[in-house]
Amino acid sequence: MAPSTTVTRRVKRKAPRAFLKRTLKQKKPHLGLGRCCDLLIHLNCLLFIQRLAEESRTNACESKSRVIKKDHVLAAGKVILKKSRG
Amino acid sequence: LSPYVKFFSFCTKMPVEKTALEIVEKCLDKYFQHLCNDLEVFASHAGRKIVKPEDLLLLMRRQGLVTDQVSQHVLVERYLPLEYRQQLIPCAFSGNSVFPAQ
Repeated sequence: MAPSTTVTRRVKRKAPRAFLKRTLKQKKPHLGLGRCCDLLIHLNCLLFIQRLAEESRTNACESKSRVIKKDHVLAAGKVILKKSRG
Repeated sequence: LSPYVKFFSFCTKMPVEKTALEIVEKCLDKYFQHLCNDLEVFASHAGRKIVKPEDLLLLMRRQGLVTDQVSQHVLVERYLPLEYRQQLIPCAFSGNSVFPAQ
């Protein structure tokens, strides 16, 4: 691979804790959040995204496309959302 | 939701189309909805109004992320930065004290 294509953007590892708390409050206003639970939710989110990324990547590889398209993510989302039911 | 979308395009290691990223956002929305419903059910089943770490552990077990081979602490060590790990995994400190207390 040419060096220009392997440039990786920095990824923030900081968790958007306020955002997580806010969304949970919005959806379930009567539910409280224990200490450090938002971090665990963040972890869960990261794992979900990673699974989604892997699945859509394999979908794209199977259809021999170089970029990830809309329907690849759609198909992956269906599978992964089913897998991540509680 | 933008940090998670960025993380998605980092994980794929592939160029991603703009429309595909919108779909990712939609998926995340659905995912949060499911997550909140599950947490509510778990907490109310235990007779609490506060979500505790046990609920998250149970959720991840149900999702097949935490298994007998891979424990939750392994996942925390692998994916979260050090400052958060210190808050999540109990560790012995000086003066024979363990933080966070079990």
